[in-house]
Amino acid sequence: MSKPAKAGDTAKGSLPFEEAVNKLEGIVEAMEADDLPLETLLARYEEGARLVKICQEKLAEAEVKIQQLEKNAAGELKLKPLDLPEEA
Amino acid sequence: MSKPAKSQWDFGELFPPEQARKVLSVWELTSDIKRLLEKQIGSVWVGGEITNLRAQSSGHVYFTLKDVAAQLSCVLFRGTAAAQRELLADGQKVLLQGEVTVYEARGQYQLIVRAVEVQGIGALQAAFDKLKAKLAAEGLFAPERKRSLPRFPQQIGLVTSPTGAAIRDVLHVIRRRNPALEIVLAPCRVQGDGAAREIAEAIRRLNEFNSGSSRGDVAQTSKPETGESRRTSAATAKLDLILITRGGGSLEDLWAFNEEPVARAIFESALPVVSAVGHEIDFTIADFVADVRAATPSAAAEIITEDVFASREFVADAMALMRLQVQRRLTNETEDFQSLAGRLARLHPRRRLNDSLQRLDDLQSGLMRSLKSATRSRTLVFESLAGRILRVKPLLALKTRREAVRQLERRLNLLGPEQVLARGYSITTDAATGQVLREAAKVSAGQALKTRLANGEIFSRAEK
Repeated sequence: MSKPAKAGDTAKGSLPFEEAVNKLEGIVEAMEADDLPLETLLARYEEGARLVKICQEKLAEAEVKIQQLEKNAAGELKLKPLDLPEEA
Repeated sequence: MSKPAKSQWDFGELFPPEQARKVLSVWELTSDIKRLLEKQIGSVWVGGEITNLRAQSSGHVYFTLKDVAAQLSCVLFRGTAAAQRELLADGQKVLLQGEVTVYEARGQYQLIVRAVEVQGIGALQAAFDKLKAKLAAEGLFAPERKRSLPRFPQQIGLVTSPTGAAIRDVLHVIRRRNPALEIVLAPCRVQGDGAAREIAEAIRRLNEFNSGSSRGDVAQTSKPETGESRRTSAATAKLDLILITRGGGSLEDLWAFNEEPVARAIFESALPVVSAVGHEIDFTIADFVADVRAATPSAAAEIITEDVFASREFVADAMALMRLQVQRRLTNETEDFQSLAGRLARLHPRRRLNDSLQRLDDLQSGLMRSLKSATRSRTLVFESLAGRILRVKPLLALKTRREAVRQLERRLNLLGPEQVLARGYSITTDAATGQVLREAAKVSAGQALKTRLANGEIFSRAEK
């Protein structure tokens, strides 16, 4: 059976969205804690900005992908593209 | 009443002349039917089950009365007592009293309801309650077996009709909130005979797809070995969850979701199941078995995309949040720096030198001040002395002194021998030595003597 394409993540070798968001949350929290040395704070800022970029790219690249799962006469599962009329 | 028409079997004339036909307008015919119905049937009592109940904003209530074989449109006008209206509910078995009439505008016959009598719980409702009780007893609704949904689903299974309103609503929300979500649709009918079977099969199909193996597993998933498949799937999951959904409709329309095969399929699903059937008020057996129940298809899509959507907003705000922190810190550091710089400037050698120079200046001017004041006081003393000196008159003093000398002279004269001599005494001295003679025995004969008188002296010789 063909593997369903998991767009993005592994192919691009970048961080999955969930991990990026979790890291970003950690960074913002740490920055708000107020006890970081200035150099660390600035380093966190740069790292955070990079994660924001990653997250935004992941959100932007997407167009809802919808496929239809059917079973043929032989009982095999087949995925085929489904064209639904776009909303006006 | 219209005249009896010619029989159609009368072939006397193939095309009868125009004026021989009796042509009715639609309205005339409908009116005829209406009169006929109202006259022939009129007021009746009729028993059945209420379905498709719709209360309009006009205040009229429309519904369908049905039994196993037929349906009857009914209307309860606004004027009818509220007590009667409150008895109406979908699935309710009732006896209705009213008049049969025709709504000409739509050519529909209907019952205008005057009275409502409740006739026990509707058959569908009874079946619902019975199945619900049975499945509850088996633990299909147990809260402890409800699974939570993954926070960031990437791919979901969707069980619904590809042509229904529900899929449109779901896609609309997902496009807006998480367009990265991938959807695998297992299409099925969602109402009518056989729909329940199709829904159950669709759920199993998605689970089979998710388990990722070939046909060998089909048999396994169709067997009710629920515990096994439930546990093994998560590791290799391609789908994160399954959404079973359908838009609103009557109790009959939604009925497939109240059937046991659907309930069983949901219970056996290795993937967490979200159920969203009908509107807010509609609860189906599927809703009770599912891990999460949503009020509507849109609400289900919102629940599924909740965390991604929240993260999107968080990501959108994150830059601003971080910038704020950096800015705040820089402001603080700048203030600290300025305060330190100020303190440092106060400690700078030049500053201290300046301080010393200033102090020196101060001392210097102080010195000058005291010098001046000292000079002035000396000058004053001098001037006062000079004044005093000028006041002293030297000649006068000399004269005074001279007078004093004269007085002293006089007083001295008083004590001197002259005064004694003047009173007749005389002083005899040895003429040779000038010694004053005080004892006669010490004078020898022939010794030259000098006697001093008040005026003049006598020189003589001692005789004996």
